[in-house]
Amino acid sequence: MRALVVGGAASGKSAWAERLACSLGPKRSYAATMRNVGSEAQERIERHQRQRAEGNFRTIECPHSLAPAINAAPGGVILVDDLGNLVANGLFPEDGSMADPGELLARLVDEFEQLSASYEHVVVVGNLVGCEGRWRQTGTDSWVRLVGSLCSELAARSDLVVELVAGIACPVKGTLI
Amino acid sequence: MILVVGALASGKRTFVRSLGYTDEQMGYALFDGRPVLCDLDELLHKEELDAQALDDLRSRSVVICNEVGMGVVPIDKFERTWRERVGHTCSQLAADADCVVRLVCGIPVMLKGEELV
Repeated sequence: MRALVVGGAASGKSAWAERLACSLGPKRSYAATMRNVGSEAQERIERHQRQRAEGNFRTIECPHSLAPAINAAPGGVILVDDLGNLVANGLFPEDGSMADPGELLARLVDEFEQLSASYEHVVVVGNLVGCEGRWRQTGTDSWVRLVGSLCSELAARSDLVVELVAGIACPVKGTLI
Repeated sequence: MILVVGALASGKRTFVRSLGYTDEQMGYALFDGRPVLCDLDELLHKEELDAQALDDLRSRSVVICNEVGMGVVPIDKFERTWRERVGHTCSQLAADADCVVRLVCGIPVMLKGEELV
């Protein structure tokens, strides 16, 4: 199955997505998307590592592309957490330039298609952004729009879409078991 | 009237196209005679609406608006007033609408009048 889990910041997306992934099978991989830059990132990474320690996930580092997860292809369940990081890392490379949003969207949609061909179950953590008015900076505006578009593309291809509100999963598409 | 709300890039216009409306039928200005009005939030950034303008909105088949009120309170007074105006106008229109739809990741979530779409 393909599932998309969205919600605001700290709404319980990752924890819920991990529980869903654990319920889908014993062979679990985790596509980690965060670039390890600075102490705040390190703390967040460690918190997520502790959180999923019980789930016995095999971690595959995927900060820029899902290619490492596609190539590893051990089958079973894969959890991708999250789209906001993947889009930010793709849109704003370390050299300070900005990537073409259309090309990046097409590449990521294609990578998710390949991922779904390599694993039985794909659980993706997305982000609900774009409900706070206008962004004057083009970079932020592009990021918000790209996260929104990618969420829509993946939701259309998913069997299950849920929105987390204060840790509660609200079904948007499909039914919760 | 169908009121369609949702985040930036959440699939609002794509949903309205799926109802059979063409891009030519979508407009961005008051009193343009088109069945669909897009970007109500942008319109409200340019002007305040009087009773006549509100009647024009109520006479449309579809009104589309971005949800803009879930972030930090803007420092700028005009932006604060605008944000309130968008929220109040949407609530007013939703009360009169036959149907209200919220787009989440491109998926239409029916808030009112599901049977009509």
